[in-house]
Amino acid sequence: MNAPPLSPGGGGQWALTPSGGARGETGHKSEMLDSLLGLGGLMLLRDSVEWEGRSLLKALIKKCALSGGQVHILGCEVSEEEFREGFDSDINNRLVYRDFFRDPLNWSKTGEALPGGPLGALTAMCKRTDPGPVTIAVDSLSWLLLHLPCTTLCQTLHALSRQDSCPGDSFPVGQVRVLGLLHEELHSPGPVGALSSLAQTEVTLGGTMGQASAHILCRRPRQRPTHQTQWFCILPDFSLDLQEGPPVESQAHPDPHTPPVDPMTHLTFNLHLSKKEREARDNLTLPFQFSSEKQQALLRPGLGQATSHIFYEPDAYDDLDQEDPDDDLDI
Amino acid sequence: MAAAATCGTGAGSTASMASEASKSNVTSFQRRGPRASGTDSGGTRLVSIAGTRPSVRNGQLLVSTGLPALDQLLGGGLAVGTVLLIEEDKYNIYSPLLFKYFLAEGIISGHTLLIASAKEDPADILQELPAPLLDDNCKKELDKDVYNHKTPESNVKMKIAWRYQLSPKMEQIGPVSPSRFGHYYDASKRIPQELIEASKWHGFFLPEKISSPLKVEPCSLTHGYLKLLQFIQNIIYEEGFDGSNPQKKQKNILRIGIQNLGSPLWGDDVCCTETCDNSHSLTKFLYLLRGLLRTSLSACIITMPTHLIQNKAIIARVTNLSDTVVGLESFIGSERETNPLYKDYHGLIHIRQIPRLNNLICDESDVKDLAFKLKRKLFTIERLHLPPDLSDTVSRSSKQDLAESAKRLGPGCGMMAGGKKHLDF
Repeated sequence: MNAPPLSPGGGGQWALTPSGGARGETGHKSEMLDSLLGLGGLMLLRDSVEWEGRSLLKALIKKCALSGGQVHILGCEVSEEEFREGFDSDINNRLVYRDFFRDPLNWSKTGEALPGGPLGALTAMCKRTDPGPVTIAVDSLSWLLLHLPCTTLCQTLHALSRQDSCPGDSFPVGQVRVLGLLHEELHSPGPVGALSSLAQTEVTLGGTMGQASAHILCRRPRQRPTHQTQWFCILPDFSLDLQEGPPVESQAHPDPHTPPVDPMTHLTFNLHLSKKEREARDNLTLPFQFSSEKQQALLRPGLGQATSHIFYEPDAYDDLDQEDPDDDLDI
Repeated sequence: MAAAATCGTGAGSTASMASEASKSNVTSFQRRGPRASGTDSGGTRLVSIAGTRPSVRNGQLLVSTGLPALDQLLGGGLAVGTVLLIEEDKYNIYSPLLFKYFLAEGIISGHTLLIASAKEDPADILQELPAPLLDDNCKKELDKDVYNHKTPESNVKMKIAWRYQLSPKMEQIGPVSPSRFGHYYDASKRIPQELIEASKWHGFFLPEKISSPLKVEPCSLTHGYLKLLQFIQNIIYEEGFDGSNPQKKQKNILRIGIQNLGSPLWGDDVCCTETCDNSHSLTKFLYLLRGLLRTSLSACIITMPTHLIQNKAIIARVTNLSDTVVGLESFIGSERETNPLYKDYHGLIHIRQIPRLNNLICDESDVKDLAFKLKRKLFTIERLHLPPDLSDTVSRSSKQDLAESAKRLGPGCGMMAGGKKHLDF
C-alpha cells in the first residue's frame, strides 16, 4: 500500500487531510471517478512495478459499491483477505468475490468452486438475467492472459461489454462495466494493443517524484478520443484525492538583452490609416470597376457634356489619303 | 473474369443496336436519351448493371467506393471482382466511415450487401449509414463548407482583382464528375429507413454464428474465417452472382464488407503474438476470398487493424494478396497533431497499392502526398500543400516531412516537387 503524501506542491485547496470534511473530499474526487465510470464497457488499468494499480482498482470498486450496483470480483493474483483489507464491512458485504487464487485448478474438489475456472465464471456472467448495473472487476487480466489464449479472452470481454447494448431477454439489462488490471511489463505489445483496442477507457499509471498520475484515454464510440492527465493519491480508506501536479520548472526566460524589435517603428512612411482615410479609400471608385453610374455615363453621352475634340494640323510630310498608308514610301 | 463477360455482352448489344439504327435512320449516330439514375455516362448504350461503369482505360467494370475523390485516385473506381483493403487508423475513427460510404453507395445503387463483423451487429451498422446528398444540395453543401473553411480575410470581396473571385476556390484532385456514378454523403445524417428496407442485405455476425468460443483447432483456417467463407460462398451461389443459377432478373453486384478482419475478435491471434500458431490463417482467407470474388460479380471492402499486427512480414503478405490497399493515418495522439503544417487536416491517406488488372501498368495517380479531412458533413481528400521552404529558421521537422513525401515520388522529381500543385498554362 502506498503512503499518501499529504502536502502537494501546488495549490493548497486541492489537498485535504483524511480528517478533513467528507463533503470537501467527495466534491473533488467524484469528478475523476465519475468520468472514469461513466462510459461503461471495458476499462483497462495499466500499471507497472513502480506505480501499482490495485489501490486505484479498489477505489473504483468502492465507488461502484457505494453507488448501489452489484460488484463481482475475480480474484486471481492476491488472496481474498488481502484484497478485502481496507474496505469497510458494509462494502465487504456487497462484494461478490470469486476466489481463484487459493485453488486455481480446483484440486481440493470442494463444492464451492465454479466450473470452468475464471473463463467459465466470466461466461456465466455473460448470461445473467438480473437487471441493474453490474461491475465486474478482474484482479488481473495479466493472470488471465498467461493462462488463456488472448483471442478467447478478447472475445469473452467483448461479449460481456456488448451485453448492455442488445438485451435479448425481457429484462432490461443494465450497464455492464468491466474493470481490468493489466501489468504492462509482463506482456509484449501485441496483447496489450489488442486489449486496448477493445477498451472504452484506458488509464495508464505513472508519476514523478512520489506523486502518482493517471493518463486517461476515453474512447467514445464514433468520436475523437480524449486524453487527460490527472494527478491523484489514494487515501488509506480507498477514497481518491485529486491533486495538482508537481511544480513545473519555469520556462527559460527570454533573453533580456535583446528585446523583440517592433519593425513598425521608425518608418519613414505611414503604414496606418486613420478612420477618415479608411473611409475615403473605401469610397474610391477604381478605374476598372464597372458600377452603375459608369454604365449610365457610357450609354448616354450626356447633353451638356463637352465631347472631346481633336485639333490636328497636318504636317508637310503627312499623307491625308487614308486609303493607302504606304503610298508615301519612296520605293 | 467477370469484366470480360460483361464486355462481351456489351459488344454484342452494341452491334445489334447499330444494325437496328441502320434500318431506321440514315446515320447510325444516335442522340443520347435521358439516362435512368445509376447508369453510366460513358457514352455507350450498353445495358449495364446499375451503379457500374466501364473504365476508360481498359473497359474494366468499375463500381464506386462511395467517395468520388477516392474513386479518382483509384483510377475511376473499384474494379468488380477485387478487394479494397483499408488499413485502419490507430483509434479506428475514420476507417468505419469509408466502410459505411461503400455500403451506402451499394444501397443507393441498388446492389446487394453482405456485411460481416465480429464487433458490431450488421443491423446496427446498417442503421448508421450516412444519408445521401441530393444532387442540387450537393454543390451547395460543397460551397458552403468551402466558404466556412476559408479565413475571414479572403471573404472580403476583391475590389481590384475582382476577376479572380470567379476562379474555383476548392482544391480538388480532379473535376467533380456530374455523372451519377459516385454520390456524396452527409456524414451527420442517417440514411432514411425506407432505403434500408428497400435494399437487400445479408449479415454475418460472428458471436451469433459461433455459439461459444471454441478451442482453436489445428487446421489451417480459423473457425471464424471458415464460417465466413462458407457464408459468402453460399450467398454467391444461391443468388447467382457467379452465373451458376440463371438469373431471370437483371444482373446485380454483390458488395461485401468485412470489418476489423484480423482482430482477436475473429479468433485470429495475428494481432496478439509475433509467431502465432495459425500464422497462415489470415493469408489463406484472403487468398480464398479473392478466388471467390474473381469468379463472381462482387466487390469487397475489408478494414484491417494493421497497426496491431506484430509480424511485419504478414502485413506485406496481406498487401500482396489484396488488390487495392489504402492506408489511413490519423493525427490524433501523435506529435503531428500540433504541427502547424497539418493543422487543417485530420490525417494522411496513403494509396499503397493499385492493381494491374489485364494491364502491364497500373493507373497510379501522380499525387502521392494526400491528406484527408472530415468536415462537418463531408469527407474530403486533398493534396497536402507544404509551405515553401524560404527562411533559414525553418524547423527541421518540416524538412523531414518534405523528405518523407519525396520518398514516394517517382524518379526524376526534385525535392520540392512533392507538395506543389502542377502548373497549368
